[in-house]
Amino acid sequence: MILELDQVTVTFSTGPPLRRRALHAMRDVSLHVGEGETLGLVGESGSGKTTTGRVALGLRRPTSGTVSFEGRPFGRRRRELAGRMQAVLQHPHWSLNPRMRVGRSVAEPLVVLGRAERGEVREMLEQVGLEAELADRYPHELSGGQRQRVSIARALITRPGFIVFDEAVSALDVSVQVQILNLIKDLQADFGFSALFISHDLGAVRYVADRIAVMRGGEVVETADTETFYTSPAHDYSKQLLRAL
Amino acid sequence: MSPLLVVDRLAVDYRANGRTVRALDGADLEVAAGETVGIVGESGSGKSTLGAAIGRLLPRTARVDGGVIRVAGESLFELAPADLRRVRRERLGFVFQDPIASLDPTMRVGRQLTLVLGRGTGSGDVAAHLDRVKLDARTARSYPHELSGGMAQRVAIAMAMAGEPELLVADEPTAALDSQVREEVLDVVFSLAATTGTGIIWLSHDLAAVARRCSRVAVMYGGRVVEQGPAAEVLGRPAHPYTAALAGSAPATAARGTRLEPVPGRPPMLTGPSDGCSFAPRCAFVIDRCAHERPPAVRVGDQDVLCHRAGEPATIGQGATT
Amino acid sequence: MRRPLDLLSKGGLGCLLALVAFALGSTVDLAGDPDAIVGPRLAPPGPEWWMGTDNLGRSMLPRVMEGVGTTLLLSCTAVLLTAAVSAAFGILAGYRGGYLNEVVLRLVEVLYSFPAIVLAVLVAAVLGPGQFAALASIVLVTIPLMTRLVRAAAVGVSQRDYVTAAVISGARLPRILGRHVLPNVAGTIAVQGTYALSVGISVEGGLSFLGFGVQPPQASLGVLIRQGGSYMIAAPWLIIGPGTVLVVAILAINVFGDGLRDRLEPRETRSLT
Repeated sequence: MILELDQVTVTFSTGPPLRRRALHAMRDVSLHVGEGETLGLVGESGSGKTTTGRVALGLRRPTSGTVSFEGRPFGRRRRELAGRMQAVLQHPHWSLNPRMRVGRSVAEPLVVLGRAERGEVREMLEQVGLEAELADRYPHELSGGQRQRVSIARALITRPGFIVFDEAVSALDVSVQVQILNLIKDLQADFGFSALFISHDLGAVRYVADRIAVMRGGEVVETADTETFYTSPAHDYSKQLLRAL
Repeated sequence: MSPLLVVDRLAVDYRANGRTVRALDGADLEVAAGETVGIVGESGSGKSTLGAAIGRLLPRTARVDGGVIRVAGESLFELAPADLRRVRRERLGFVFQDPIASLDPTMRVGRQLTLVLGRGTGSGDVAAHLDRVKLDARTARSYPHELSGGMAQRVAIAMAMAGEPELLVADEPTAALDSQVREEVLDVVFSLAATTGTGIIWLSHDLAAVARRCSRVAVMYGGRVVEQGPAAEVLGRPAHPYTAALAGSAPATAARGTRLEPVPGRPPMLTGPSDGCSFAPRCAFVIDRCAHERPPAVRVGDQDVLCHRAGEPATIGQGATT
Repeated sequence: MRRPLDLLSKGGLGCLLALVAFALGSTVDLAGDPDAIVGPRLAPPGPEWWMGTDNLGRSMLPRVMEGVGTTLLLSCTAVLLTAAVSAAFGILAGYRGGYLNEVVLRLVEVLYSFPAIVLAVLVAAVLGPGQFAALASIVLVTIPLMTRLVRAAAVGVSQRDYVTAAVISGARLPRILGRHVLPNVAGTIAVQGTYALSVGISVEGGLSFLGFGVQPPQASLGVLIRQGGSYMIAAPWLIIGPGTVLVVAILAINVFGDGLRDRLEPRETRSLT
């Protein structure tokens, strides 16, 4: 078991002072991601899937419940997880620092760990189907699909055991989406990482995931093998998502 | 009777920093009164430029490099400002992608509607227009930021439809909304348009979604409409290789365990008129002619297709794997 | 992505550079010694003294040159200080949020609530009149707006995915702020810097005009206008010369700042394309 969320609840307080209200972004969410497995997480905005991603990455501490990574509960410091867990995030436009050359962005996770970069950047760019020469370009010279490939290269460079893809293809053109989804599948076969694939698009999730969890209103309403989501999901809401495809 | 909207060989360039980008490269489109047409294309295909051009709403960096648009017989680019305003007011309505940004944040919804409806509008009229988009009359007292995305888009639709236009241009009106709300908003648009006899041009990147709602579909690529015809035909038996690729590349269409083979490469960025077919570099059926001869419109079944090999058995129905 | 400056702001920049060159001229006494008495008192502009002479018979041209230099130097130094302080606090408050953010915002609001000239006079009253008071006044007057805008920009940048990705990779605070946040708010700092410069020039002018800033015999635009004010009817050129330069300087900086803003911070214009 690479990642396990056990009865995780996250509560935000919102509203003006004196009239604060508690908002449950996650309510008793239990999920697990197995070795080499891709867990898909489907839900709409406000369903709590983004918060779930942040909790899985150790960016947000749960209000209650435990999160364990590789069998051990998260430590107090986020840095302990550095390099072993990475993310590919939503917006290709903002996923790379516009003031940094692509190569430096890709190398950053290595530099942060204090490791020297010895040709890994070029190697990794080629792995994700880009020319090594792109390392010297700035992000604005790249297309959305290319930028998302660069994000994937950056996530893979420390050879992490676990990667979170948060809406990683949602902002891309349809014909490019499939290119990236295929790339993720191929890289997973090569590198053997586990993944949490978060998206509002059941079609994309179904295409890459081994198992799928459906979230709504902060709760997981159904978890089942991907197979189920081609034919007959149990929960009404899952059925509705399937119909909308 | 002539069609409500005619776009004929429209070419539009954007110029910035001494660079020219060709957004439309001879686009043709016809929409009859009351017809619902979906325009499908990826980013850079020119669909938004086409949508904006229909209201002569192009940004200042744009330049029309040829072609005409006729709305109810009037040539849009030759109209005097007063006539243009009249055409926009009486015949056209627009709905955009970001509903909250399209409303004035400093004004209550009711007041904005009143402005659109004109002088002498009572609160009853406002309530009636809100009711048409299935909103409570109390919504009139809200400011745009107090509304959800779906509600704001309904207000925008109520405003666009207030003058009962003959044609509603909707540019990705549901892209910012959740799937459930999306369906509700589309229900509102299409049922309202059906009662007022308004034609719809719906710009989208989602071929399947468009085909479910619209009677006709036009597929854009490289600034041209490469295929248009009845929705079911275009989706089910695409005659242009690009349409076929698009229909077959949505992850949702993949059967369990199959691997989709997307078209390699990415959409072109034209800097001037294309010499041949702009899809040629990515096309599996490319022949010599494609690179240097612009394909003319060919009739295949019920579809108009811009492809040199249109109608050849090898190119038909590819990728329509559903 | 990078667009060139438009013609107007290029003109502003040219004007500004010309003023700097004009001011540099005084360091080599290009137009003569600003303190030397060269002719009759209150002589109108003529071939020997292009901008006339003052009440002591000193040629105005070298005095205006020196004045522009003093004013620009003072304002630039102050703006650099403002930029450094605002960048540090704005970025930290914007990225960290929470308690620090509240403290910075409240402090800034307190400063902001004083009208500029009242604040400047207050500072001069505490520190005593002089160049240092003028410098401190400009810094205090320009800090609130710049800090607020840098903070707002930093809040936006902090939410971007590349910052999150750096945090996930385990980057420490100095790296995140220095490599990711600062370079992406630098445009805001530069643009606000130009506006702060024009505010600085007018604060110096006002303060010295009131007699709390730069002290004669050293010339600054404010000092010259103050001195010219006494002879406004008899010798209007005493006030027209430095006054025009002041207006031109502020106008040039603002026009240049607008161009810089359009180039560095292109607003997300809702185009229909």
